[in-house]
Amino acid sequence: MSQLVPVFVLSIFVVVFGIIIEIVANICSTAGKKTSTKLESYECGLPSDQSGPTRIPIKFYLTAILFILFDIEIIFMYPWALTYGDFISSGLGAYILGSMGFFLLVFIFGLFWEVKSKALEWE
Amino acid sequence: MLMEAIGFYAIALFLIFFAFKTISSANPIHCACYLVLTMIGLAGVFYQLEAQFIAGVQMIVYAGAVMVLFVMVLMLFDIKTELRAFSRGLISGFLKIFSAAILAGFALGAATNSIGIVDEGPPKVMSTNVTRDLSILLYTKYLYAFEALGVMLLVVAVGVVCVSRIKGGTHAKH
Amino acid sequence: MGNDVFEITVNFIKMVVIFLMMVQLVPLLVWVERRACAYMQNRFGPNRVGPLGLTQLLADAVKFITKEEFAPGNGNKFMFYAAPVIALIPATLALNAIPLSIPINVASFEWLGHTWGPYIFKFQGYDFNIGIVFVLAVSSLAAYSLLLAGYGSANKFAMYGALRASAQTISYELAMGLSLVGILLLFNTFSFSEIVTAQSGPLSFYFFGKVITVASVPNWGIIYQPVGAVLLMAAMFAETNRLPFDLPEAEGELVAGYHTEYGGIKMNMFYIGEYGHMLVASALMVIFYFGGCTIYPWLTPDTVNAWFANYGGTTASILTAFVLFAVMMAKILFFLWFFVWVRWTLPRFRYDQLMDLGWKTMLPWALGNTIVTAVVIFIMRTKW
Repeated sequence: MSQLVPVFVLSIFVVVFGIIIEIVANICSTAGKKTSTKLESYECGLPSDQSGPTRIPIKFYLTAILFILFDIEIIFMYPWALTYGDFISSGLGAYILGSMGFFLLVFIFGLFWEVKSKALEWE
Repeated sequence: MLMEAIGFYAIALFLIFFAFKTISSANPIHCACYLVLTMIGLAGVFYQLEAQFIAGVQMIVYAGAVMVLFVMVLMLFDIKTELRAFSRGLISGFLKIFSAAILAGFALGAATNSIGIVDEGPPKVMSTNVTRDLSILLYTKYLYAFEALGVMLLVVAVGVVCVSRIKGGTHAKH
Repeated sequence: MGNDVFEITVNFIKMVVIFLMMVQLVPLLVWVERRACAYMQNRFGPNRVGPLGLTQLLADAVKFITKEEFAPGNGNKFMFYAAPVIALIPATLALNAIPLSIPINVASFEWLGHTWGPYIFKFQGYDFNIGIVFVLAVSSLAAYSLLLAGYGSANKFAMYGALRASAQTISYELAMGLSLVGILLLFNTFSFSEIVTAQSGPLSFYFFGKVITVASVPNWGIIYQPVGAVLLMAAMFAETNRLPFDLPEAEGELVAGYHTEYGGIKMNMFYIGEYGHMLVASALMVIFYFGGCTIYPWLTPDTVNAWFANYGGTTASILTAFVLFAVMMAKILFFLWFFVWVRWTLPRFRYDQLMDLGWKTMLPWALGNTIVTAVVIFIMRTKW
């Protein structure tokens, strides 16, 4: 608990620092008139065609979901790495290697299938 | 001791405030951002309960992966502010009062059951390194759950890729 | 943060100083980058403003602050202004968790008629015993500043650039997390100070159950995990959006990626965040693979403390900590120079090459590294 207070204080400090910089920039800015051209979105100078909602490929969604799954698997390897030495020195080295080996086999199979089925082919 | 109580109530207030803002905000992306802050508050609660590894994992998986997915998907759909629908009628009014009463009952029960919970002395720390005990337990007593989780993640990965190929999807094979 | 006023004040100032160190490193690094890239491209860099052009960035900062400030008309104004501030937070929180030197022991002293007790000041903002998990947790929040910048700009190129940048960031977080499992298998601890302590002795490893100690070689992680070090470095390049992985920022491909609509000091805050991430990446490389603040056998805490044995306890401790801090900063500056050097040497990857590299090359290599490390440790440490 006593470790969280510095984290909180520091994040408040960083946010205040950022806000102060933005306020200073706002005060010191050489503001011109806000013409309507300035407020349009920038597309290399051409007028935008505003053709309805943007269609974005589904690959981003797939990447994010596969990231979540593999991230959870990697998180499970962290406690394993922490206690690996303890398990070995108490004679259970083969057991812990075998059990994590099965898990890794499932992970590798998942990755292999996902690559082979071209789920993440970017153009 | 006082610092523990103040810290706990501060984190709890932070969490409840942002959870409330999540459900009461009109813009979906704002809701997602408030949910991220709620997850960060949850990580604080886990840390305060001496489960430091779980707090870190909560932030890595929930606030850093799942919520990124939510925000990305919400940006894909370009949803404008939802209209605040206000339903009228007898049945919906009854349901509203009923659910408000249940929620009030829960809150009152939780409040009365937890009087003095923060004052019950120092928390019972199980050992000096909780993470190590957690990992030893995970790989000995709960090994089956751990392996089953690996297989379930594989099933989810296969399912996601297949769902994105259903007829009519962008990856569909024509 | 401390029990009495002195300790709280010193800890607060320490955190602020570490944050400001990150912010002040940006002008220095940008100067190094501009001069280095100029020499690599056979021209002079900025050498007019101040001695050797060192105050060029001050002049640039004044220019940026006085630029015209506007927000896009139909964007989400709060997100547009908040995204640069959010970009600063993950790097700062991660940098404060990394120990830059050994703790300073201050003996009790008398001041203003009050006895201030013995303190131990760590050379970091806060010390978690889940050190690396905390750094990974806050680094994974870096994707939000990209997404919110793209969303708040109401510009479909900015949104597309933000999605591509965040997809790249999360893909390389996998390789980064997995390449660290190899070094954690060796050290069996998450805490940074314990990892540095483990590397400040002679090289000692198990060989079929017996411990072999080589006397004059330090116990650095790079000797055990060269592949892991290369993977971590490459993943860090992608996490910080540095070349060769900086297609989301590259001009001409997507206008200017997720910071198309930004100008002036708000865009610079993104760069402060990026250089802050570079600093965290270099510090992580040094701590895991290059011994942290110690170089056995010449510069360990004991040997440096012996230099200052004539002075008092507190002064010797402070001087030792600062000497080792200088060692750590020298190593970090080497890695920062490496970031700059690679940027101006390699061409940039195309986006599909980048994603293929992350998922189909680095993730299998990191898995292979983990498996080989685990098997070798098992064979070597078991008493046959």
